[in-house]
Amino acid sequence: MFERENRARDLTVLGSFAAIVLTLPWWLTAIGGYEALATKIVIWAIFALGFDILLGFTSYLSFGHAAFFGFSAYVTGLMLKHVTAEIIPAMVVSFAGTLVIALIIGFLTLRRSGIYFAILTLAFAEMLHAAALSSMLQEWTGGDNGLTMDTNPVLFGIEMEGLNVFFFCALILIGGFFVARQIKRSSFGLMLRSIKENPMRLEYTGVNVQAYKMSAFLISAMYAGLAGSLMVIYEPYVATKFLHWSTSGEVVIMSVIGGVNTLIGPIIGATFLLYFENVVQAFIGEQWKLVLGAVFVLVVIFLPGGFVDGYRRIRKAFGAKVEPRRQNVPDKPQRASDAYDRKNTATQYVD
Amino acid sequence: MNAMSGQALLEVQGVSKSFGGLKALTDVNLSVAEGTTHAIIGPNGAGKSTLLNCLIGLLHVDKGTVSFDRRPLTGIKPYEIIQRGIARVFQTPQIFPGMSLMENVAIASLANRDGQFKVNPQVTLDARHPAMQEAEYTLRKVGLQDFRHTDAEHLSRGDKRRLELAICLAAKPRLLLLDEPTAGMSRHDTNRTIDLLKEIAQSGMTKVVIEHDMHVVFSLAERITVLAQGTVIAEGKPDEVRGNPKVREAYLGGSQE
Repeated sequence: MFERENRARDLTVLGSFAAIVLTLPWWLTAIGGYEALATKIVIWAIFALGFDILLGFTSYLSFGHAAFFGFSAYVTGLMLKHVTAEIIPAMVVSFAGTLVIALIIGFLTLRRSGIYFAILTLAFAEMLHAAALSSMLQEWTGGDNGLTMDTNPVLFGIEMEGLNVFFFCALILIGGFFVARQIKRSSFGLMLRSIKENPMRLEYTGVNVQAYKMSAFLISAMYAGLAGSLMVIYEPYVATKFLHWSTSGEVVIMSVIGGVNTLIGPIIGATFLLYFENVVQAFIGEQWKLVLGAVFVLVVIFLPGGFVDGYRRIRKAFGAKVEPRRQNVPDKPQRASDAYDRKNTATQYVD
Repeated sequence: MNAMSGQALLEVQGVSKSFGGLKALTDVNLSVAEGTTHAIIGPNGAGKSTLLNCLIGLLHVDKGTVSFDRRPLTGIKPYEIIQRGIARVFQTPQIFPGMSLMENVAIASLANRDGQFKVNPQVTLDARHPAMQEAEYTLRKVGLQDFRHTDAEHLSRGDKRRLELAICLAAKPRLLLLDEPTAGMSRHDTNRTIDLLKEIAQSGMTKVVIEHDMHVVFSLAERITVLAQGTVIAEGKPDEVRGNPKVREAYLGGSQE
């Protein structure tokens, strides 16, 4: 019973998520957006979703995720330009490369926490940015002009443009969302979330905290890397901005505005931010950055939990019983104790 | 009592530790037999907590060796020490404040079951998960089952201590280190904790207890080590220690019983 109920709920959540994502180009056009923006939103959503696995679960605030996004974009770009226009090999190589870079950066930065970790990650990202612009690598990276390509990327011979790219990215986002949800509810996710609560207790409970931190870091870097690859596939051009600190900052803002540690929050944040930058901007005029800043300030002051928290508060105001946010333990004590009694009569435990 | 019969589970030999010019521990020896309850007492600043911190790798010893089950504990990481079968209750309760009691305790049973690191995202952790059931069982044992879905930060100080004890028990250690497990508890709760610790003793778990409350020490301990100013000034059965004039002078004074 219990199992079926849960599975049905899971399917509903994933089904509605998939439906909303897959119809994005159409409903976005209806509210003033355009098709290409939908693809861009989906790519940034992947980036922000992965970022939540690090920031939301372990509360390690990385200010250098542009390193993975940008590095992966450059590798994908170089592969597409010099090796093959097929995207799968390009994605595989850039994925592996990002993993190596993340391992190195993670190894060197995860020894510190808080502001020190943020500064260290920022420093590494800035180093990569400087390297891409350096005269030594300019020949490859295109320096200030970015990396340009003359051929369109293909997937098994199919041109990747327009809705093709969108659906490719959307499927990766849906898959990524499923994986992130699964991580959150597993024992692995419990360990990651307890890093935020008390790393010392965790260490002195016999848990290799460093390894868990590293895996959260790697997973979020992989999402960032995937997003970076997709960005180049979506638009065959690598901008130096991909490695710039403002890219790292943007993903932080998306997460905070949407609601950290909710998975869906950063996705909503990404949608909001890009919609604002590309559509609402036209209505506001040149002061749009000021308005965006004000929105950000208001959210942080009055809705520290982001948009997701706002939604909860509205539901509460309308009298709905909002269950506390808890991922692993279903708030159904009777059921849990039933399970306990059944097990216990079978004398499962030996002391 | 099997105080003398058991093998030494924990062996501390000639441990010294100083912080700058302050000598916190000087040439401390301690031998804890398997299955016994060993109390460490001494006035404030005697080095009791420092000694426990040296045991679990929170502090590095300057000199001397610590071995557990005849294997040295020096030079390995704290979580590796814990994985050998040691658990520690801290002086200020160390818990996971923003998580439910169930989750708090489940972390320890998972650490016990899966070891120091395991990635298994395909299994959803819900009420039917063995770690959750074990957590519930352990919470019942320490008398916190009614709060199992409450976030740990909302507990009272005494209850936080009991939660930390539950976390430690769920890890199923061979050696349990307790740093003032009853501080901040009412008399009633203290007695409940004593009963609980006695019950655990019957399961054969070895315990080292630091305690100021002599009522607790004399109702639990089979052997007592007295520390003063970083050195061991007496060691023996409770009656021997109680009668030792040096101990009376240094610590017990006229205050006990």
